[in-house]
Amino acid sequence: MDSLIASNIRQRPTRTLISVAGIALGVLLVVLNTGLVRGMLNDRIKRERGIGAEIQFTRKGSSVLSPSSVMSLDVRYGDRLSQIQGVKMVSPVGRYVQTGRSGLGFEQVDGIDFESYSAISGLRIVEGRIYGNENEVIIDEFKARQSNLGIGSEIQVFGRKMKVAGIYAPESGARIKMNLTDLQNFLTAENKCTFIMIKVDDPNQEQTVQKRINNELPGNIVLLTRDIATGFGRAIPGIDTFVRAVLVLSTIVSMLVILLAMYTTITERTREIGILKSLGASNSYIISVIEKEAIVISLIGVITGMAAALLAGWGIEKGTTLQLEFHWTWLLTAALIGLCGGALGALYPAIRAANQDPVKALSYE
Amino acid sequence: MSAILKIENLTMTYRVGKVDVHALRGVNLSVGRGEFVSIMGPSGCGKSTLLHVLGGLLKPTSGRVLIDGEDLTNMSDADRTDVRRRKIGFVFQRFNLFPTLSAEGNLRLAEHIHGQGKKIIDDETRREVLKLLRLENKMRHKPLEMSGGEQQRVALARAVINRPAIILADEPTGNLDSENSEVVLNMLKQLNRELNQTIVMITHNPEAAAVASRMIEMRDGIIVKDNG
Repeated sequence: MDSLIASNIRQRPTRTLISVAGIALGVLLVVLNTGLVRGMLNDRIKRERGIGAEIQFTRKGSSVLSPSSVMSLDVRYGDRLSQIQGVKMVSPVGRYVQTGRSGLGFEQVDGIDFESYSAISGLRIVEGRIYGNENEVIIDEFKARQSNLGIGSEIQVFGRKMKVAGIYAPESGARIKMNLTDLQNFLTAENKCTFIMIKVDDPNQEQTVQKRINNELPGNIVLLTRDIATGFGRAIPGIDTFVRAVLVLSTIVSMLVILLAMYTTITERTREIGILKSLGASNSYIISVIEKEAIVISLIGVITGMAAALLAGWGIEKGTTLQLEFHWTWLLTAALIGLCGGALGALYPAIRAANQDPVKALSYE
Repeated sequence: MSAILKIENLTMTYRVGKVDVHALRGVNLSVGRGEFVSIMGPSGCGKSTLLHVLGGLLKPTSGRVLIDGEDLTNMSDADRTDVRRRKIGFVFQRFNLFPTLSAEGNLRLAEHIHGQGKKIIDDETRREVLKLLRLENKMRHKPLEMSGGEQQRVALARAVINRPAIILADEPTGNLDSENSEVVLNMLKQLNRELNQTIVMITHNPEAAAVASRMIEMRDGIIVKDNG
């Protein structure tokens, strides 16, 4: 039976290739989309946590979570926050969001007050120097490596060319940073920022300080940095629904491709089904032959899809600002979707084949 | 001679549109173990229908069919399929080999189905059958790489390899030239003689029918002549 399956797969290369491509597409969809969602979220979470502040303060409509360039928070809130008991240091940050360099995804630029920001986050210049004028920025090591940038390289910000003055570490917030005052001038938002980073005296008391800020400055958003992980998921509307939709679509694509391929194959092989029946093959035997063939094709599709996803992921990370993170649970989910979709898709043609009239099947031209 | 095939009052009626077609109108027949029987008759006389009923591919309208003591008549499709697997070998006019498999693959598949995945055909039986049918050097060839006669010999090997109780041959020389027909008929004779294989062959060719030890003639769904 194994050689019957192998020979059918080999002898119908176009059918096999189309089926493999269909399954691979489903797997690719799942792996890439979940990898992108996970990669982008975790990358942002990691960098937000890297800022070193326990609390982030912002106004409604100017959330640290949303990819917008709204700067509506007055930096003078910083002075009021500094006076609240338990607050050690504050640093205002302005955030500008621009399209990624390849047109895919988006890229953030933080306007910072270098002194207070580095005091909170531990940010230090590892190469070059701090920005010296409005046409200079500093970038993190990842950005320098990924975009092949060095000191003196040109970079597009606000649609204009700016120079890289220095490279900093560790990663925190946006990968491109410039002087907050210069950002305010560019955006004509004098004395405004997007959020204020708050370092507390005692990290164990962060919730107490958070409540105190809420009491003294009500109507604002006061977020614990550690809650940002869940916050990002919620801040991107329908992200869970999107991932679920991708899973359902991938399963349907896999099922339909195999269903159509196997249905066509069964019609082509009507006579062969008749021969199997004349040899005494039971219905379950015929179903298992077709199912095994579909599963082998699906397996090849899954492997192809995984390889294509890894390759595409590498290309995306190289050519865009998007980040991917492949996790084994999603790889396993994608593999199961490909295999189960293929097996389910073959079930109807298999049952149909098994129930064919042997005499009619044998006389099929 | 003990009967390996027994048919009693067998009828088969098809419904074609609004018309009933009586393909078999009360056939009685007994075939002993090791007999080589040919059933001859013009097109539409019911011989193909009879062969399909004997092979469990069709369920008769009434009557009884016993193969090696097992009554096919009241069996479910699945049970008839199982009897076919264990006791019947088919040879068809159009060979009906799997085109994607080699001769070896075609034989192995039949063995696999017969043994339900277990190897139950010993190598000696295999060698004996292949030698008898002069196929030792053809096993790696695919059907399209073989002549009609060679393909039919592979089909014969496939039918006989599991040592069935009975071989049902449906016009086995219908697609062959006279030279290859003679070879195939001789091989059927040889299988019958050397392996004591029971064979029921249908044909419309009197010369082919004459090879059998017993000739039966059918007309309008009944047996009109039996020299057995």
